[in-house]
Parts: sequence; structure tokens; C-alpha cells
Amino acid sequence: MDNALYVGLSRQMTLQRQLDIVANNIANADTSGFKTEKPIFRTEPKSPARTADGPKPIKFVIDAGLTRDFSQGALRTTNSAFDLAIDGAGFFQIQTPGGERYTRDGHFRLDETGRIVTQAGQAVLDAGGAEVIIDPKKGALEIARDGSMSQGIEQVGRLGVVNFDSLSDLEKSGDNQFRNTSNQQPQPAPGSLLRQGMLEGSNVNPVLQVTDMIQVTRAYESLARMMESTQELSRRTVERLGRVD
Amino acid sequence: MQALRTAATGMAAQQLNVEVISNNIANMNTVGFKRQRAEFQDLLYQTLERAGSQSSDQGTVVPTGLQVGAGVKAGSIYRIVEQGAPTQTGNDLDLLIQGRGYLRVLLPTSEIAYTRAGNLSLNDQGQLVTAEGYEIQPGIVIPPEATDISISKSGQVQIKQAGATAPSIVGNLELATFVNEAGLEAIGDNLYLESGSSGAPNLSVPGVDGTGVLLQGYTEASNVDAVSEVTALIIAQRAYEMNSKVITAADQMLSTANQVKS
Repeated sequence: MDNALYVGLSRQMTLQRQLDIVANNIANADTSGFKTEKPIFRTEPKSPARTADGPKPIKFVIDAGLTRDFSQGALRTTNSAFDLAIDGAGFFQIQTPGGERYTRDGHFRLDETGRIVTQAGQAVLDAGGAEVIIDPKKGALEIARDGSMSQGIEQVGRLGVVNFDSLSDLEKSGDNQFRNTSNQQPQPAPGSLLRQGMLEGSNVNPVLQVTDMIQVTRAYESLARMMESTQELSRRTVERLGRVD
Repeated sequence: MQALRTAATGMAAQQLNVEVISNNIANMNTVGFKRQRAEFQDLLYQTLERAGSQSSDQGTVVPTGLQVGAGVKAGSIYRIVEQGAPTQTGNDLDLLIQGRGYLRVLLPTSEIAYTRAGNLSLNDQGQLVTAEGYEIQPGIVIPPEATDISISKSGQVQIKQAGATAPSIVGNLELATFVNEAGLEAIGDNLYLESGSSGAPNLSVPGVDGTGVLLQGYTEASNVDAVSEVTALIIAQRAYEMNSKVITAADQMLSTANQVKS
């Protein structure tokens, strides 16, 4: 009897989590290099709900994981020399105090020592995994499609774009960055083009997110109604059975 | 419920976005103004299940983690240093910088500031000054008897004096360039200061080493494009609305939960 309540409750809990994720997508609809997330739900087969008269095919729902849509976000022109967008797959490598991080937000700047850094001052790494240092006196920095950097006619290095075989091992660490959680090594991504003076927008589709949000609230309401009628049923049962004529 | 706080960060971010856009629109007619844009970053993530963590004794691993983000924050507000359209004024002391570079200005605090607003004038001592009366560096003094001032593309300031047939040179203007112009710190009055992210200034003769040239009798209009600003404003407003919808949705779910009869 109580199964309906608990199964309903398990779904309500996943719906709340789904709304949290939708809220984060919508909040980041204008964040450079942001990738849309969607929760994965599955039935819990290991411990099905039981009743006194034997096992029944009633299963709980749990939030099993998260998929990220790594598709390309729209590119927009900024005309800033240190804004870079990756056209294709791959990430920039960033050196942080907590280890290497990966990002598609190419909104960089120079620091006072001439290193190319993120807005937070973390060094961007080149194809060889070393910091990129620019001498400002040599003139404007040009970054070609393949990542090679030049000032005037002098080539000054090559920015690295790397990719992973399995993107699901990446974890978001905030500040538009990803962390590698597995042993796989980042591989160079030769097919990807860099575009200087552009940034990649978020790939959140607001219409889909709002539709998801409406579905979530409606599903939550109908579950609440279902649980209410279940309770009503047990209340009446108790009332009828308990009546002594 | 996390969704409420997440949506609130989204609304705060879009509010900042609208503030930046409104500053751009307000400065649509400011000489030498460069439009700005707000950049956003995602906030911390709460990791509920780590990708790659073991899910059984047999060594199976969780293929995809479960993370819930906490929303968005303003990453930076940066300037887009595109050339603004030239406006013909016919004034001898209006200068347009065609290309990269900034005029150097001596502030009353004896700091050096940089500007692209070339609407210059003379003060009571004949010094070349900005609209606020701050002296242009290197200092150029125009004698009162000068009848005609001409400023060449390479910054040479020549005057004609009554009685003299040949013009005489009174000074040379210089331009400062920065590797990362967008990193200059704006201090108002169309002035900028050197900052850690702009790099040190490179002084050079206009037209040399990739610096721009000077055009006399023109000023540089602001590079704000009204249509794209209004479009950005609409996008920001809709994004704000969408975030407020999330708050409504979360509120509705909480209210549904509260109304469940026990």
C-alpha cells in the first residue's frame, strides 16, 4: 500500500534535482563555453519495492547520472585579440593550483609578466604543455587557425587544443572549467580551428529548458495528486475496516 | 531547493548585463567611447556522484557523474576596442586616431592617463589640453600669435605665424600602444590608466610600428552600435524573465509539497 507513496516520493526527489539542473542551465544561458546538462534517470532494479504477498514489478526511480551536450555553441565576434573560440571539438589547457583544467571559454588576457592567462590569472598552456609568454614590444599577437601564434613575421609559439576519448570522464569545476577524473591523457585535437577575436557562447537552448521546466512542475503536481489519492484510499480503508457494526 | 538560489544568481547576472548595456547606450554619442560587454562564468558544482568512482567490488565504475551547478557569476566586464566612425568637425584641434594607439594625458595627480578622445583645446597658456584641461604629453605650446595650426598624420604640429612665410614646428605628438588594450582601466572622462593586464605602453611616432595615424579635423565617434545594443538588451531581459520563471516553478513545486494532506 505504501509503495505508491514511496515510489512517488522517489520521482519527486529526482524532479527537484532536475529543476536544479534546469535552473543552472538557464542561469548560464549567456555564459561563454557553457555546455548544457541533462540528468539521466533510471529505475532501481536492485531493490524493487515489495509488498507482503511477494515481489511486484514496482521499482523506484533514481538519478543515475548526467549527460553533457558538448555540441558547439554559437560563435560571436568580440574583436579582442585575446578572445579565442574553438571551432570544433577540444579544450584549452589551463594550469591552476589544483592541477590542469580544461575550458572552452577562450576569454583570455595578458598578465603583467606577458603570460597569456584566464581572467582569474591562470596560465594558458601551449601545445607542449608550457606557459605562453608574449613580449608586448614585438607588436600585435596574431593567432592562426591551427593555434600558431605570431607577432609580426616572428612565430612565437603554438597554443594547444586537446580533446579526450571519453568526455563523460570530465567533471565541471566551475569558472567554465572542466577537470579530468580518469587516467586518460588529453590528446591533441588537430581537426579543430581556433578563431581569434571570437568567443563561443553557451549551447543552452532556452526554449527546451523552459519546456523541461514546465514538464517538471506538472509532473511534480500530478505526483502530489497521486500521493494524495493514495493517502485518501488508506484513510478510507482504515475508516471502513475499523467500523464496528 | 537549490533551483531558487541558482535562478537568483542568473537574475543578478542579467541585471549586471543590463547595467553594462545601458552604460553603452548612454555613451552612444561620447567621443572615443568603447563599448563594453559582461562575460559570465559558471559557479561551483556540487558533485553528488563522481564520474569514474567505483560502483561495485567487481571494479565497475560510474560512467557519468552527477553534478549540480550553483548558478552563474560575472567573470569580467571588458571593452571592445574597435575603431569608431570618424566624425568631421572642421576644428583644427580635433584629432582622430585612425588605427591603434592612445594620446598621453598628464593628470593633475601627475599620473599619466591615455585617451582616444581627440577633441582637444588650448588653455590660457596656449598648451594643448583635453576637454577637461589636462595637458597632452609631450607638452605642446601654441604661441598666441599663431594664425594656422596643422597637425600631420605622423603627429607633427606646425603653426604659421604672422609675417613668416614658412611654417614652424612646435612639437611632435606621440601615440602609446598596448598589447592588450582591452585591459586598460577606465577612470571616466574618456581616460584610461595602464593596468597589470594591459601591459606597459609602447611610445612611438604615429604611423610607425603598427600604430595608427592622426587625422586633423575629425573626432572618433563611439563604437556603440545601437541596433546590437538594443538586441542585447532584449536578450538580457528575456533571460532575466526566464530565470524568474524558474523561481516561479520552484515556488510552485514547494507549494505543491506544502499542500499535500497528511
